[in-house]
Amino acid sequence: MARRRTAALRELARAVGPEEVSEDPLTLALYSRDASMFEGEAALVAFPKTVEEIVACVRIARDHGLSVVPRGSGTGLAGGATPVHDALVVVTTKMNRILEIRPADRLAWVEPGVLNLDLGNALRPYGFSYAPDPSSQQSCSIGGNVSTNAGGPHCLAYGITSNHVLALDVVLPDGSVARLGSEAPDAAGYDLRGLVVGAEGTLGIAAGICVRISPLPPSVQTMLLDFTTVEDAAATVSAIIAAGVVPAAVEMMDALITRAVENFVHAGYPTDAAAILLVEVDGLPSSVEAESRIVEACARENRVRTVRVAGDEAERALLWKGRKSAFGAVAQIAPHYHLHDCVVPRTKLTEVLAGVYRITENHGLAVLNVFHAGDGNLHPLLAFDRSVPGTLERVLAASEEIVRLCVDAGGVLSGEHGIGLEKRDFMPLVFTDDDLAAQACVRSSFDPETRMNPQKVLPDGAKCGDHAAARGSDVQRVVESLPEGSWI
Amino acid sequence: MDLIEPITKAQVVAEIADASADGRRLLPVGGRTHLDRGEPIEVDAELSTTKLDRLVSYEPAEMIAVVDAGMRFGELSETLARAGQEWAVDASPQATVGGVIASGTSSPRRLRVGHVRDTVLEVQLVTGDARIVRGGGRTVKNVTGYDLPRLLAGSLGTLGVIVQVALKLRPRPAMRRTVVLDGSIDDAARALATIPLPAAVLARPDRVEVLLEGWPEAVEEQTARARAAATIRETIDDGPFPVKAPWNDRPVVAEASVPAGRISDLLPSAGDAYGALIGVGTVWAGLRSADGELSDLRGRAAELGGIAPVIRGPGGLGAPPPAMEIQRRLKAAFDPSGVLAPGRFWGGI
Repeated sequence: MARRRTAALRELARAVGPEEVSEDPLTLALYSRDASMFEGEAALVAFPKTVEEIVACVRIARDHGLSVVPRGSGTGLAGGATPVHDALVVVTTKMNRILEIRPADRLAWVEPGVLNLDLGNALRPYGFSYAPDPSSQQSCSIGGNVSTNAGGPHCLAYGITSNHVLALDVVLPDGSVARLGSEAPDAAGYDLRGLVVGAEGTLGIAAGICVRISPLPPSVQTMLLDFTTVEDAAATVSAIIAAGVVPAAVEMMDALITRAVENFVHAGYPTDAAAILLVEVDGLPSSVEAESRIVEACARENRVRTVRVAGDEAERALLWKGRKSAFGAVAQIAPHYHLHDCVVPRTKLTEVLAGVYRITENHGLAVLNVFHAGDGNLHPLLAFDRSVPGTLERVLAASEEIVRLCVDAGGVLSGEHGIGLEKRDFMPLVFTDDDLAAQACVRSSFDPETRMNPQKVLPDGAKCGDHAAARGSDVQRVVESLPEGSWI
Repeated sequence: MDLIEPITKAQVVAEIADASADGRRLLPVGGRTHLDRGEPIEVDAELSTTKLDRLVSYEPAEMIAVVDAGMRFGELSETLARAGQEWAVDASPQATVGGVIASGTSSPRRLRVGHVRDTVLEVQLVTGDARIVRGGGRTVKNVTGYDLPRLLAGSLGTLGVIVQVALKLRPRPAMRRTVVLDGSIDDAARALATIPLPAAVLARPDRVEVLLEGWPEAVEEQTARARAAATIRETIDDGPFPVKAPWNDRPVVAEASVPAGRISDLLPSAGDAYGALIGVGTVWAGLRSADGELSDLRGRAAELGGIAPVIRGPGGLGAPPPAMEIQRRLKAAFDPSGVLAPGRFWGGI
């Protein structure tokens, strides 16, 4: 192992430059995890600056028996970028140029390390936007967004990352480069682009990304609605949709997170509300007016206490700042948090939220809820201090119960964070052996030797063409079944 | 040719297993409205999904419908319209839901509603090795595993027979109006720049058709903007879009796809019966034959970074795509004995 690593290091130094590859213990430790609770171990870390350098990283890793773990800004919450032993971590943060903005073609080409917010800011003078806007948009990269098929508040009306990625220049596991998708609206062949988006770096590394850009809406209205019960807030969400309005965003925050955020940002959020909704409608001025009226009427029917309409752009920005700083505000409550990401049918929101409160109460844990209510995408956030003995175990036990609760309500394991290491062993909760075998076929079609981000997404035992394989149907606790070389 | 019409998913499984055992090749068919797409092939039987046509579940508050793949688009549209919703693909009423997805046929309103593949949340298919496989999920957001729904969209029946899907719906617009303007391609580009958020802008050789939809006050606002910027020939409320499709009167119709800003560079090779979706990059070109005209169009589309498969008449798809090895491995994994429409797909897959 040591000799293999030394030889790989030498070749990598030649390929990407000695400053751009590291075996320094501090660097390795820094890149041994993402923003999840999972830790692994990196053998080497490289910082390529061009497509050709990524190709060299992939080839050198293959020649020396190292796996490749692609990584953007490391804001992932499911352990997708956590390296499991003998891995070369390929970090794309130094590829952060916006290459082209072509309004006439309604597209832009970016390198994978470009930050989501930087792209949005660069497009605004052209009158365009890039729709997906994860809450971490100040720090997450477009490459990482592609990897997790990231969402964000505005996906309700505009759709997820995959809807906004036209083409990818992908470094494939064998070190070749292919353009998947097209600058044109349709491409030839199977939608390999669509497979790579959301594949969490298991099918290749997106070295160049062509995104669809959308014209900025002429008019936007943001409203803050506050309620004395969670049920009334959830019923308002359903009523808005039933009235034929799909707002640009519908975000919900419960009492505890609203108070934490207000302390932190001073956005004027009502600290005595049981739940608040942040609703944004956009479009033509007359349709914004029509939809705002409908939203307000739905809220009044469901006993809204106050309706605050952002009077200007500064107030609108402040209302959003509260929502987007929510996770930072949690530090006031406890030093660590574990954030869930399940999606349930919109009509089950109230019932599932009640279940989440019950589960966390049973385990004596604090839970804060700030989430994409319009999409049914829950983000229960368990705040805790892992230095208190027994706490981590309680968090994991509660987490498993929350996942099962969401699945039983007809939901899925992840809406926008991905499966990574965190949820791979929950996959049999939502898929049969045949379903998982088909997914393994997708993976092996790209990467027959499982060189790219091994041990992620699919549970051990899921194999292409192996649909008769008997696997235990009981899901082991995540902590017991983590692959060798990673821990929590 | 034999026509097999299973009435259950289990029968689909059995028919595919039998065909595989006997070395027979099957062509999955639905409403037969997209059969010209793909390379010409010979098969031993057609496997029709049209008797798998149940509405499995529909909860308007979720804006999701789960339907068997053989349901006709017309029937589904009527059901959804009663709840004020739509599946925004604008297919022929005879087309089946599965056929629309397998052929990857997007709506002329694509500027507004996106690609058909973005509306398929969950797919259940029977693979060529007779397995029932489900991918995706019944929620509007989902990154639980690999995106099989997008893989199946546009796969022309070559990976599996789609038997059931969950569709993402949208509210049916309260008002729909087509504004026909004088002019051609340059005027169409101007219309896109001056009329905010149209659902579609279609350039024809002698006119521009702009589709507006939404709340009545918004449509009136857009109409006023159109009137200020161009000469309106007529306005049609609740009519078909495109108003007319003269390219469909020609023996061969190609659906060219180029970067949106390059449409005007393609049009000299698109003949005199075309419709071009401005801001999208789709051009329907009616051709007199699949010979020289088609190869000119394909050659020009390729130079511009696009493609031009035929969607009606002879002519097939065109040159093979990149990453053929991965595409072949996918076919081999999902349909190992080559039962399902072998040779129909890009690159002879």
